[in-house]
Parts: sequence; C-alpha cells; structure tokens
Amino acid sequence: MTALARTWGRLTLPGKVVFTLVPLLAVLTAGLIAVIALFGGAVVDVLNANLGIVRFVAAATIILVITIPIAFLNIYLEMKIIALMNLRVGPDRVGPWGTALSVVHGLKVLMKEDFTPSGADSVVFTWAPVVTYAAAVLTMLVLPFAPGLYGQDFNIGLLFFFAMGGLGVVGLLMGGWASFNKYSLLGGLRSAAQIISYEIPLTLSVVGLLILAGTMSLNTIVEQQSGWFADWYVFRQPLGFLIFFIAATAEGNRTPFDLTEADSEIVAGFATEYSGMRFGFFFFAEYVNVFILSALTVVLFLGGWNAPLEIDPLLEWIGGVLPGLGITTPVTIALDPGGLGLPLLFLLALVPPIGTLLLAAPFYLLRSSMRWWVALIIGFLLFNVVAGGLLMAWAYVSFEWVAGLLWFLGKTFAFVFVFVWMRGTLPRVRIDQLMGFAWKWLLPAALLNLFVTAFAVVLVGS
Amino acid sequence: MTTDHRQASSDDPRVLLDEQVGVFEPVPPYPPRTEREAEFYSLEDGELLINIGPHHPATHGVMRVVMKLNGETIVDLDPVLGYLHRGVEKLCENADLHQTIAYMDPLEYVSSLFCEWPAVMAYEKLLDVEVPRRAEYIRVLTGELNRISSHLLAMGFHALDLGGLTPILYSFIERDEIVEMLAAITGQRMLFNYFRIGGVNGDLNHEFMSRLGDWMSRATEQVEANVGLLSENEIFVRRNRGIGVMDAETAIKMCWTGPNLRASGVPFDIRRAHPYSVYPEIDFDIPTRQEGDSLARYLLRIDEVKQSLRIIDQCLHQMPDGPVMAKLPRLLRPRPGRAFAAVEGPRGEYAIYAVSDGTDQPFRFRIHDPSFLHLQSFGRLVPGKLIADWMTVNASLDPIMGGIDK
Amino acid sequence: MDRAIRHRLEERFGDVLAEPVRQRHDETEIRIEPRDVPDVLRALYDEPAFGFQLLADLAGVDTGDSMEVVYHLWSATSTDWLRVIAVGLDRDAPRTPSIVSLWPGAEWLEREAYDMFGIIFEGNRDLRRIFMPPDYTSFPLRKDFYLPDDAARSPGAGVRAMEASHAPRNAPAGTVRRVGGRV
Repeated sequence: MTALARTWGRLTLPGKVVFTLVPLLAVLTAGLIAVIALFGGAVVDVLNANLGIVRFVAAATIILVITIPIAFLNIYLEMKIIALMNLRVGPDRVGPWGTALSVVHGLKVLMKEDFTPSGADSVVFTWAPVVTYAAAVLTMLVLPFAPGLYGQDFNIGLLFFFAMGGLGVVGLLMGGWASFNKYSLLGGLRSAAQIISYEIPLTLSVVGLLILAGTMSLNTIVEQQSGWFADWYVFRQPLGFLIFFIAATAEGNRTPFDLTEADSEIVAGFATEYSGMRFGFFFFAEYVNVFILSALTVVLFLGGWNAPLEIDPLLEWIGGVLPGLGITTPVTIALDPGGLGLPLLFLLALVPPIGTLLLAAPFYLLRSSMRWWVALIIGFLLFNVVAGGLLMAWAYVSFEWVAGLLWFLGKTFAFVFVFVWMRGTLPRVRIDQLMGFAWKWLLPAALLNLFVTAFAVVLVGS
Repeated sequence: MTTDHRQASSDDPRVLLDEQVGVFEPVPPYPPRTEREAEFYSLEDGELLINIGPHHPATHGVMRVVMKLNGETIVDLDPVLGYLHRGVEKLCENADLHQTIAYMDPLEYVSSLFCEWPAVMAYEKLLDVEVPRRAEYIRVLTGELNRISSHLLAMGFHALDLGGLTPILYSFIERDEIVEMLAAITGQRMLFNYFRIGGVNGDLNHEFMSRLGDWMSRATEQVEANVGLLSENEIFVRRNRGIGVMDAETAIKMCWTGPNLRASGVPFDIRRAHPYSVYPEIDFDIPTRQEGDSLARYLLRIDEVKQSLRIIDQCLHQMPDGPVMAKLPRLLRPRPGRAFAAVEGPRGEYAIYAVSDGTDQPFRFRIHDPSFLHLQSFGRLVPGKLIADWMTVNASLDPIMGGIDK
Repeated sequence: MDRAIRHRLEERFGDVLAEPVRQRHDETEIRIEPRDVPDVLRALYDEPAFGFQLLADLAGVDTGDSMEVVYHLWSATSTDWLRVIAVGLDRDAPRTPSIVSLWPGAEWLEREAYDMFGIIFEGNRDLRRIFMPPDYTSFPLRKDFYLPDDAARSPGAGVRAMEASHAPRNAPAGTVRRVGGRV
C-alpha cells in the first residue's frame, strides 16, 4: 500500500491520468465483455427492434468523437507540411515524427487558466466557441464517407450543409462582440462580412451542379458519379469547381483569405481574448472546417467515395481468365473463406510462423553478420506488413465501404494538403480586395456558370 | 497573476475590477499639451481610437501607434515612442571612447556595423588618425555584407507582415550564412563590436574567406530565387502597389534618406554624395525608382543587394595588404572640438555628432537615426487607407526600434 | 575642406555670424544667434549659390554654460557638411525658433531636443515628450541631471507648467560639467 502511495506521489499529472484511466478502462472492458457474453442475445434483439434510433445515436456519437482526431490530424499536418515548405523540420520530438504534438496541445489548452475578461459579456463569451464548433460538427451529419457510411441521407442534404456552415458566423460574431475589445470587434465584423459575402458565390456555384444532378441529396450526387473518373462532376462543371474551391477557402478563413486571424494585423481577431479550452474550440472548429470543406469538394465534384477506375470488371476478368489457365480451386477458396472449416483454422495458425521463417531466411542467408534472432524479427515485421497488406486488399475487394472510405479520405486529405499548401505559400489579401473579389468577380462568374449550365441543359434536353 | 500597483479604494477585488473597466481608452489621462494632441484626441462622430502595440507581432520592435479609425479606414495616426529608450547618449557621455563603440551596436542591431562606423569615423576626425587602406577595405567589405543581411531580413519581414510565412525563412538561410562568416572574424553573430578607432579589430582569416567564397559563388542565383518568390506574386504586388506613395519633394522635406528616399526618385546616396572610406575607388550604381510606393521600396532593396554583391566582389579583388589598425596611444585624448560623420546604412543616413572637451569621455554624443524620420511620415502616407495598408507601409519602411528609441 | 563655401558664407552672412567660420576635415561650421536661425536657414535653403536642402541632423547640446542647437546640412554645391550652431541659449529657459516650416521632418527632431534638454521651439505645433513618459519631470541630457529616482528633485527639472517641480533652479556650483575652452 505504501509503495503504491509513494509511486502515486512521484507521478506527474499525465502519469496520474494514465494510472487512473488504464485500470478503469480495463475494468470497464472486462465488465462490458461479461455483459455482452451474458446478455448479448437480448441486447441484439432490442437493437434490431429500434434500428433507426440506434443508427442515429451511433452516427451522432461517432461524428462527435471523430472530429477530435480529425482536428488533431489536421493540426499536425499543417504544422509539418508548412515546416517542410519552409525548409524547417517542424514537430519532431513529441511522438514518432512529432505526431503526438497536437494531442499534447489539446491537453495543454485544457490545463490553461480559464478566465473571462472583465467587462465581457460572460454568457455570450462562453457560448461563442460552442456555437462555432457545433456548426462545424453538424455539417458532418450529411457527408457520405462510404456507401452506407453516412449520418443521415436528407434529400436536401446540401442545403442543410450550407445552412449549418452559415451558423458558424454567429459564433464568430458572438466572440468578437462579447470580448469587450476593439481588436476583437474589428476581427469579428471582418470575419462576418467575409463569410457572408462568400456564401453567395459558394452556393451559386453548386446550383449548376444541382441542375445537372437533379437532387440535393449528397448520397445521390456521389452515386451519380460512379463509373470512372470522367463521370465526376469536375469535368462537367469546371468553372463551378474553381469558384467553389476559392469560396470554400474564404469560408474556412484560410490563407489567402485569413484576415480574421491575421496575427500580424489585429493580433488574433475575434479570438484575441480567448485562451484555454475556449480558444481550443475555435481552433478545432477551424480545422474541422478545413476537413469538411475539402470533403464537400470531393463529394460534389470529385466523385466522393468512388474510385477513379472501377475494379470490379478487373476482378471479374481475373475470375474469368484464371479457370481458363487451369487455376480453379485455390482462387475459389481464397474468395470464399467459409469453405474449409477446421483444416482452414489449422492452416491459419501455421501461416504466421512459416511466413516469418520464409521472409527471414533471405536476410539470414545473404548477410553473414546477421544474427538469427535479428533475422527472425525482421521476418516477423515483414510478414506483418505482407499479411496486413493482403488483408487490406481482401477487405478492399470484399467490403465496399472499405474501398469507398479509403478513396474518400485519400481525396479529402489531398485537398487538405492543397489548403495547407496555400497557407504556406501565399500572402494574404486586404479586406477591400477580398470583398471586391467576391462581389465583382466570383458572383458574376457563378451566375455565368449557372446560366450556361441551364442553357446547355435546356438545349440538350430539347 | 499580475499585481496592480495602483491604490485600491478598498481590499475588495471587485472594486479594482470596476476601476479597470473604464481604462481601456488610448486617450491619455491628462489634458492635451499641444495643438496637435488636442486635434488628434478629439473624435468626430463614428471615429474610434485603437492601439496598435506595444505588444504586437508586426511593429518591428516595441512601438505603439494610436490610430484614429473610421470603421476600417485610418483617419490619423500618432506614434508613441520610447518603449525601447535606453539612454544611450547619456551613457556614452560617461564612457570612454572605446566603450561607446560597444554601446553603438544595439542601436540598429540588425546592421550593427553601420552603427559603429560613424562613431569610429567621428573619433578618427577628432584624433586626426589616418586609417590604413586595408582596414578601410575590410570595413567596406563587412559593411556591405551587413547591408545584404539587413535587406534580406527586411524583405523577409515585409512578406511575413503580409501573411507569407515562407520567404522569411528562405531569407534567413542566406542571412545565417552571412552572419556565420562575420562571426568568423568578429566572434559575434549579431552585435559585432568589430570596428575600432583607427581600423578594425583583427584581420580576415581563412574561415571567413572560405565561407565568403562558397557563399559568393551561389549568392546571386540564391538571392534571385528568394526574391522571385514574391516579386511576381499577384497578391503581394496588389497589396504593395500604390500604397504609401511618397513623392520626392515631400521626402526631402521630411528628411528621409536611404532606400526609402531613392525609391521616391531622389538619387541621394551618401556613398556618392559625400564619399567616405574607399567608396570613391569602387564602381557601383545607385539604384533609384520613381514610383515611391511600397513595391518600389521592396524592389529597390533587391537592387541594392545586387549592387552590394558587386562592391564585395571588387573589394575582394582590390584589397591591399597592410596593417588593419593604425598605431594609437593606449590612452586616447582627442582634441577639444566637434566632429560629424555620416554613413549610408541600410536604412539611410546614420550619423554621429561628437563634441569633445579634451578628455577621454565624449562631452556630447548625438546619434542620428534614419528610421526616426521615416516613422514621422506615417501621418502623410497612411490616412485614407486601411489598417492592412499601415502594416504594409510599416514593413516597407523597415524601421528598427532600437535605433529610433536609442 | 571647401574654401569656396567659406568665402560665400562670410560674404553672405558675415554680419550675423557670432564667430568666424571654422573648418576642419570635411566640415564647415558657422555660429549664429537663435533669432537669426529661420532667416539664415531659409537663405541657405533657397539661394541657388548655397542650396542646402537636406537636413542631416538637428541636435541639442548643453555646454554647461549655455545651450546650443546644432543643425547639419548638405548641399550639392559643397563637398563639406555645413554645421549651423545656434549659440547662447539660456540654460534655464532655452528658446529658439522652429524650422518646421522649412523641413516638416524636423518636428520630431525638435521634440527630441525638447525632451532631452527642455529647449522650447517656437512654432512647433507638437512640442511634447517623445521618448520619456508624458509625466516625466526632468530633462535627461542636461548636465545637471540626477539619476532617475531623484529626477523630481533635480535642478534640471522641467520648464513647462505641467512639468513644474518644486526644486531650486540652479545647481550647486561645481556639479555641472562644463565643456570649457574653445570647443
């Protein structure tokens, strides 16, 4: 007991957190397994009866939970990529290649002093970051991550997305006003003007696409782009895509349109007086915004979860060609695992050691200085890589949602990279140049796009 | 937790809080002392006063600017200086001649050699000392290297204030090389303390020459690549063109010097107008631009860097052998008299006016800094424009608060 | 050393010069009374024979007996710097006309001279402190300036109503460093 107390006293705060959480989680997991084992059947029946509610609760929970890792990942990517563009190293020490840095930042903002400036309207001050964050998170409800993986499939999904995105302005205005600070007020007004101005080209640029698609449901729009990459809407609406991307950069307060957080002008704009977790919320909301704007670009214009080339015809061709070559049984077994039963289990148990030995042998035999256990370790790691790759390939081929999710995330993070790239490269525009650009260039261009699309549709239709 | 030194009317913390709420206005708590102050602090309908600084990421030091804004448009400005005032002139009156040279470095800390140079020139006039030719060439060589590093820093910060995060880091790569090579001879990366009365403190050495050779061989393309990042960038050009235009006549009346003056069309460079050191023997041009806006100042600094590279090249070829320090007695007693020396620094005319009373301590040591006068002109350059334009003008004028506040 | 400029200066301003023109190295120096400053500088500015249109520096000097304001000018007509010294300002109430009408850029330079010495420049619309805080009561570069924690009691304390102090005006003899001799 005293040894435990002594160890406890010597721990730092993160250590104490780990020491408390890990046993707690272990107990909870054990309890959960016991509950499932005992009452699993009954629970599954109840869930099956209320599938709609279950689905909704699951979707809401997953979305709320997943925004945090996404934000962390975006923060890390931004720091690292901008650093590499600046010929610096970026985060390097905290985790493998610095990946744990954003997690540490998140913990740090939790531990900061939480104050409200005197004279500030404390209710509005506290709720401003919540509103911004909630608006960003709500938009994820309609994003289709993969076939079958979405929150809700509204038939006005796109409208819902823009409506929720617009709610973010309210949060910025609240933050700017409630801070009792002229810098914040200026920043809040600037950002409100910017976001409201760019909402119009943003929404108008996709109306052309809506005419072509005929629906506002994001799921349907993605399904309409299945096939190969020439079916994607970016080739049918190139001007719309361009306007949408630029307007999305401005909506997300990203460089070159990041005057609201221009830290060389009005310090931090609307967020000047915020610190601690409140600032953390604004920060997270911005990075979630980057993700969802990239995701929306991908969903609307780049085919969402569709792969650029369909792999099913290829697989059928393989399945069709191989019997002609005399290879039948192994392939059918590989594609139908339930065939063998108990012998298959034995086979599966033997595969890892055999694979390790096979992959270790070349290293051991070809390098005279290699010790046998080092060769075994290398073989084991390689086997894991190979087996993991094969399993991934099988999952990709067999489960539609794995393939779809991978393509969706890949394309989304490519656009996140473009956003980060712009931040590292471009200086920022002035507020009057920004407003002029929105109202004098993007808006007419969006209208032009709309008219040409409508005209073309009528012409082709008739 | 910060402690508040003002008298509280009671120990109740809520009393302090209530007192604090009203004290956020930049209006000073005393009646206006001058006409201009009265005019500035009386607000029309719809105007507000905002403080930029002193804690601010883009004021190039610790400077406070009280801005009178109408919405986002600047109506008037009142810079408040003195946050970095260290009383250097008074300190120099109590120090002997060698110690004053060390006091000169932290003034324009980015271009320290140009701060030491007029000081040693003024003393050399008071002591009637002839500086050996090799020392003069070394002074010119290291001075031009310092000029390049200062201009690169200025251009990098210009980009940073406008939002571009990358060019400053590229500029600092070059600056790091230059600073390392100067550290090889002076022992310091930044506040060099290298010039001495009668010469320089130590000859060039092998490390310096090899670093210089390496750097010179790729300097031109590297500088071109770095500045090419921004000179053709549409956003950068549109932020800078036509902002902060100063015409030639007003610039002369506002006592501007240096690249800011030359960007307004006045080809005044002390190295040619009132030659000192060995500049008459070196062949270089005075780049001048006519537009007078921030973009012209930015591009002019690039041109000056190229001219400095030419000068360095000629120095290396023409450098004579010989001593690097004149023979001087250990205790220096300058003649009673006055001396004025001015050099062309990266920001303009940097001058020292020394009055000596025959002792080894200067009687009066006046430091004239060019950025002091550039800052004064904000009131003519910026009203009618936006806060973002003030940022651009401030960055393009390249002030260094250490020199301004002395 | 430019002989030509010396002749021209002696010809044109001989009657207002307080002392003969001095020259050393590449500087030419003339000394005038404070009341003549605007006329002389305007003549130096306007007349094509002189053309001293660039103000290189404006400084105050406290010689211990009196105060001076020193102007440095440059012209393309001469290879020397021209130093114009307005001599004989009273140490206790130094006043001199301002040259802001000629060089608007001199406004801050005069503010600095006021802040450091207490010299009042008549005609400067904005003569307030520039480096020291606005409620500072001493003029730091005066020779009878005490350390900051005694500044309020220093005899070098301010001349304006707002900066009035209750200390005696004259410093005890022997405490003020004088420049002495022909400097």
